[in-house]
Amino acid sequence: MKTIKIILGFVFVLGLASCTKDFEEINTNPNVVTSDEASGRYFLTNPEVGLYGPTRYPYWRAQLIHSDRFAGHFTFGSHGSWWSDELGYTYSSSYTDAAWGWLAGYFGGLDNFMTLTGPEGEFENPLMYATGQIIKGLYFQMYTDIFGEIPYSQVGDPAITLPEFDTQKDIYKGIIAELNSAMTTIGDNPTTGDGVDDMGENDLYFKGDLQKWKKMANTLKLRIAIRAKGASGDDFADQAITEALTLGMFIEAGEDCTLPKDVEISQWTSAAYGDVWWNFGGYGSKWKVGQVMINYMLRNNDPRLSKYAVPSVGGEFTFKRPDQESNEDGYTHFEKRTRFLAHTINEAIDLQGGDTTNTFQYYVDSVTFNVPPDTYYIGQPTRLNGKIKSMVRFEFFSSPSDYVIQRKNEGQPIAPELIMTAGEAYFLRAQAALDGFEGDAQLLYNEGIRSAMKLWGVGDADIDAFFASGSPLTVVSAENVAIQRWMNDYTDGFEAWAVVRKTGYPTELSQGVNDINIFGYGDINGDYPTRMKYGNAAYNQNGANLGDAIARQGPDEMNTKLWFAK
Amino acid sequence: MKKHYFVTFMLILAMFSNVFGQQRTITGTVTAQDDGLPLPGANVIIPGTQVGTVTDIDGTFSLDVPEATAQLEFSFIGMNTLLVSIVGMNSVSVILETASMAMTEVVVTALGISREKKSLGYAITEVSGDEVNTVKEQNVVNSLAGKVSGVVLTQSSSGPGSGTRVIIRGNNSLTGNNQPLYVIDGVPMDNSGFGSVNGGGTGEYSRADYGTGISDLNPDDIESISVLKGPNAAALYGARAANGVILITTKKGKAREGIGVSWTSQATIENPLLLPKYQNQYGMGSLGNYPNDYADLETFKGNSGSWGGKLDGSNQMYWVEDPMGSGNPVTRPYSAQADNVKDFFQQGSSFINTIAIEGGNDLGNLRFSYTNNNTNGIVPNSYLKRNNFNIRGIVHASKKLTLDTKVTYFIQEANNRAVQGTEGIMSTLYRIPRNSAINDYKNFQNPDYSAVSHSALGSNPYWTTDHDVNNDTRNRLLGYVKANYEVTDWLSFFLRAGTDHTTQNIETINQYGHWYYGTGRFNFATYKTSETNLDFLLMFKKQFSEDFSFSANLGGNMMSQTFTSNAVRGEDFKIPTKPTTNSARELYPAYTPLREKRINSLYGQVSLGFRNFIYLDLSGRNDWSSTLPKDNWSYFYPSASLSVLLNNFIDAEGNWLDYLKVRGSYAKVGSDTGPYQLDIGYNLQQNGYLGLTTLSRPGTKMNPDLKPEQTASLEFGLEWRMLNDRFYGDFSLYSIKSTDLIMDVPVPSSTGYSRFRSNVGEITNKGFEVLVGGTPVRTANFTWDVSLNFSHNKNTLVELIEGLESYVFTTTNSGIVVVQATVENDSLGVAGGFGDIYGKTFKKTDDGRMIVDANGRPLATSEKVYMGNYQPDFVAGLSNTFMFLNGFTLNFLIDARFGGQLYSGTDASLDGSGVSERTLEYREDGIVVDGVVNTGTAEAPVYEQNTTQITGQEYWGAMSGIADNHIYDQTNIRLRELSLTYRFPSSMFDNIFIQNLTLGLVGRNLFFLYKDIDNFDPESSFSTSNFSQGVLWYNLPSTRSFGFTLNVNF
Repeated sequence: MKTIKIILGFVFVLGLASCTKDFEEINTNPNVVTSDEASGRYFLTNPEVGLYGPTRYPYWRAQLIHSDRFAGHFTFGSHGSWWSDELGYTYSSSYTDAAWGWLAGYFGGLDNFMTLTGPEGEFENPLMYATGQIIKGLYFQMYTDIFGEIPYSQVGDPAITLPEFDTQKDIYKGIIAELNSAMTTIGDNPTTGDGVDDMGENDLYFKGDLQKWKKMANTLKLRIAIRAKGASGDDFADQAITEALTLGMFIEAGEDCTLPKDVEISQWTSAAYGDVWWNFGGYGSKWKVGQVMINYMLRNNDPRLSKYAVPSVGGEFTFKRPDQESNEDGYTHFEKRTRFLAHTINEAIDLQGGDTTNTFQYYVDSVTFNVPPDTYYIGQPTRLNGKIKSMVRFEFFSSPSDYVIQRKNEGQPIAPELIMTAGEAYFLRAQAALDGFEGDAQLLYNEGIRSAMKLWGVGDADIDAFFASGSPLTVVSAENVAIQRWMNDYTDGFEAWAVVRKTGYPTELSQGVNDINIFGYGDINGDYPTRMKYGNAAYNQNGANLGDAIARQGPDEMNTKLWFAK
Repeated sequence: MKKHYFVTFMLILAMFSNVFGQQRTITGTVTAQDDGLPLPGANVIIPGTQVGTVTDIDGTFSLDVPEATAQLEFSFIGMNTLLVSIVGMNSVSVILETASMAMTEVVVTALGISREKKSLGYAITEVSGDEVNTVKEQNVVNSLAGKVSGVVLTQSSSGPGSGTRVIIRGNNSLTGNNQPLYVIDGVPMDNSGFGSVNGGGTGEYSRADYGTGISDLNPDDIESISVLKGPNAAALYGARAANGVILITTKKGKAREGIGVSWTSQATIENPLLLPKYQNQYGMGSLGNYPNDYADLETFKGNSGSWGGKLDGSNQMYWVEDPMGSGNPVTRPYSAQADNVKDFFQQGSSFINTIAIEGGNDLGNLRFSYTNNNTNGIVPNSYLKRNNFNIRGIVHASKKLTLDTKVTYFIQEANNRAVQGTEGIMSTLYRIPRNSAINDYKNFQNPDYSAVSHSALGSNPYWTTDHDVNNDTRNRLLGYVKANYEVTDWLSFFLRAGTDHTTQNIETINQYGHWYYGTGRFNFATYKTSETNLDFLLMFKKQFSEDFSFSANLGGNMMSQTFTSNAVRGEDFKIPTKPTTNSARELYPAYTPLREKRINSLYGQVSLGFRNFIYLDLSGRNDWSSTLPKDNWSYFYPSASLSVLLNNFIDAEGNWLDYLKVRGSYAKVGSDTGPYQLDIGYNLQQNGYLGLTTLSRPGTKMNPDLKPEQTASLEFGLEWRMLNDRFYGDFSLYSIKSTDLIMDVPVPSSTGYSRFRSNVGEITNKGFEVLVGGTPVRTANFTWDVSLNFSHNKNTLVELIEGLESYVFTTTNSGIVVVQATVENDSLGVAGGFGDIYGKTFKKTDDGRMIVDANGRPLATSEKVYMGNYQPDFVAGLSNTFMFLNGFTLNFLIDARFGGQLYSGTDASLDGSGVSERTLEYREDGIVVDGVVNTGTAEAPVYEQNTTQITGQEYWGAMSGIADNHIYDQTNIRLRELSLTYRFPSSMFDNIFIQNLTLGLVGRNLFFLYKDIDNFDPESSFSTSNFSQGVLWYNLPSTRSFGFTLNVNF
């Protein structure tokens, strides 16, 4: 009897074991936000920030190491730097993968915003969706201009895990179609709605002002059309340019679209140049402003110079000729290299009306440089090789201005990220006018220069003085429009690099380098880099489709020309 | 809870003082038949009761028995039990015969049920406590190396108290935990760890290993370890047993006279086993240049390589600043500091002392042990202190009711666990210039708080050991209470409640001036985990007739695992020397509310035996897991096994064959996932941009319809013992298939996600295990026991999802090597396995000529090619024990691993820095690489013979970016353990209180008999997770240790 009771007891326990009453409650995560607790606009901010102010890892590897240096704006390779300025020109998969990974991975946040606000989304709002389409245009233009063919038409569909790559031409056309659709949707609407339906302060670009969004969409359309115009097989650029000019809505003076920097946020959330510049010891991570940029500004009395850079630190430095036995190369090319540096320094000092008689002095087996302290703007030549590095003194050359490399958390203003400037809009219209479309090229060009200078806080008097200086750069021409766009894009290396590739200006950059004793040839024989190689993730995850793209586009090398530049 | 234990102990004490009436005293001696010597420790009991005693050191006993007692039962492990009549006798003299091991060997199986090994249809390996505590390891599982076939151990090299990756019969899951379940005295022990040890992070930058749960176990408390390999043996333990179970039985008090006290002590010293081979001919500099002036020095600090001029002793500029404060560097003789790396290490030491007190009688027993472990690592300022308290009591409360309870309290403090990886301490140490004196780093801080260094990066190993620190404390309380009740002689049951609570505090501080977190950073975190198991088991056992035996077990378990954590990260210190929450300008607090996982289970097992030669086992288990969706949270899985003793047909009398068994089994196990894996929700950022409210979607697309993973296993085996145990063997053949793997499949970001959570794929593991051993020599004065085991496992990833050919575990920072699981593809000739290493090779023209760049440097391919797999082809262990001269025992264990590759990023980096021995090549004359250069375009290449000479520095720089050069074979054979012990003859202690005394010399990891890789231990790892295996990145050197042990019983 007792045995039976015990067995019955266990049968009861067996029943308990299969009890699953509170399983669902146990397995609900209290830390995540569900859609009934959220609003669409909260999903907009991160995609806006992530494309221009990513975390330090890509900020350093994609923007600084690649685009800002390919654009000739910045240089590495002064004596204490971790790298020679050949870095990036020599392919390094880790740095390239960081750029690829950042841009490829960026899409998820934008896709989420568009899914939530799109048709049948949980926060369906066609007007918010239209802003998503415009950001998508900015994103895909930047992305394809770096790598060439990328997946575009089949993105955002979880059912397609292996999307095909699209040609750059098709991507451009697709972006323009989406921009048209966004502009149509926006129409005359001033905002995306009221209360939480208004993007408001969550919209860092335009504070929810839809008409400005529409202007940006039209300006972007013009940018893409001008870039495509002239490429082989282009069958849409002229029409798009005409449409954009007809609509006539562009970013205008004072309406620059920039991303204000958060001066407190951690560099692990959103980085700034100052994070890379200051948060490491010594010279290793620091960089200089490029010679081509400084010299253009010097030759043309550009009032932005002091906004972009600071005079070099200067000082006296002696270099000994290396011992022939231990360093044959250094011994042989000692004079050539020191004379090259002396020439670079003297040229800049000359342009500033300085005295160059004592800047360097040759002795039997040594050279002494004497650069006056904190006086002259001197740019560092691009792509110097590792063998000259020890003589490329950090003190010789100009650093970026404090405003550019301002450290965060100090309460000081930091240069914002450029997204779409009024200057560029005018320059694009000036280019269209030069190409025979409507508009007064010189007037638009002048307006562009004025807007570009004002963006950096240059006063009207200084701007007027520039126009009165008689600089050749005050006269509109295709070359000068390109140079001005490239100067205006300072700190936006991606766009500046694209301008150089499309226009061939400044030629000092686009012609590449041809003295192996002074310059780093990289993997591309000294050619100008015309694209970046695909990331390894593309090979690992979608190899077959990538293979098709490479077969169409040309070898996956850094000197294979992209469609727009052909 | 504590009150409960107290009551229990009082009860035990009360019972000790119980007095019986109507007694008489029986005395006697027990001797062994084999050698005629007295047998200490033999059990003497009154049959059918728990009343009894054990013989003392001289084999004598004295027992008070009730007047009416007619017989006494004498037993001893490995001997036949004997019933002796004591009617009318006051003393007896008993001789016990050696039993054939084969027929009586009892092993602990799933659910803690002791079974005769002959009746089991699956492989199980038992290791005795002596085998793991003679030469003690900081982490007891390391002692299994070479002793159990089919087990691959990978020790983390991050110093004392670090974790170990244990893989039994291969990896079954791509993303899950592939390590076995640990069960201590029937209660699962949480083996999770914190930091990167168990993490999925793939970064090679910095990996800190805070150890895993099992290293908290004290080797001295272990009675035996049973290794249940694979699902067959372990099916009754459910999901976590899919990777095998390690069952550990701890010691309990013995019924004895008086109180037994034992003290064991081990003192060892340890030193690096292996350091890289360095060149000592060239110093800091570049392109053969000395630092001629300050600018050169700054340049050389920028790349900090040892590519300078010949170390000729001439006075040259040196990186240390003038101590007089001029701000200029000093000059020093430019000469080699051959031992600068070696001299950084200190001699490690370890003292482990255990004192155990035990006592007991027929009513119950009690054992208490305390272990103190005081260990200093080889890295300065690193140590580990442990205190382990353990108490176990068993009370026979009535004839039918037995209470058994155990409490373990563990406290550990670890200081400065070394961070490994490319930003870890070894990366600053291994590469210091060959002319840098280690003493110059001891004054490690500049006035601006940055590190004094030869390098612009600010690497200084002493700055790291002092200012870049990792401290943690770990508190753990675990125990159980169990009540066993014998209802009748054929039915019994037990109820048990076990719990395991761990609290770990980890403090990581990167002081102001840190090269990466320049303004300081800290992270203070507290993690709490617990696991509680309530279970019961109903046991039924009956012999129906002479021919048929039957037993059945029915059990249930409710398991609850919880996790919670509290952490605060701070950055940017206001007062540079104050890493406190008040000093940090930015604070990021984080709190994880209690997260729970619950599994309820029911299981049953039936065993049938026929005439003691055929045994059939059937089992089934149903789990209900809270982590799966409602439709899938209940799942059932069965197992069956058969064992047949063929010796009954071949040699029934046992003339030469003791035992020959064939066995076969099939088992299935389902497994679930972690909590909160089904939810679709958005992440709210603590610090949104410009203070805005921002939300984002997780990168993983969740799946609310997950199913349990399935692992099915088939196993066959053959075991024999012959010539009276002089020769034995065990052979197993298995095939394991895992399907419906729950994993986050990486997908192209164009989908909007980085990963999809899915049930996908199929992994198989097929292999065999062999154990042969015996006693080649057995004489009165000399015995030699030898055993050899080896095993092979072949792992194949049969299927992932359509279109996806690989799953990447690790990509090196430079991107030149990936470690991945590759899907089998016959048409491409891809074998497909877990842990394939793919890397960049030399770029070549279609006709096979090497391509160099315009500067004459070799180029690497964009694509990666197969270079190996990190899983070994074979692992083997050879153990020899010699007993001689009445008391000496010499034991040595040789452990081997054959095949398996790894990529040594450390070697690549040392070559790139010009410090390794092999970079002496091409230093003086440079090299013209035999290859071609493309003088055409990318689209239309024109290849011309290369004529450009490059320097050794350029050559080795290029080589370090091509994976080929640093792939090594893991094959190695080493002397893993050596011990020589002497047990003093008991006659020496006749008149003093010592009962026995053993002294020993021990050594671990003493030397390699063979290895393929020059500079590093191929079996060490900087992580024990699935990720970051197969690559070496600045590990700490593994160590060689030796010392002595003392064991005294009072």
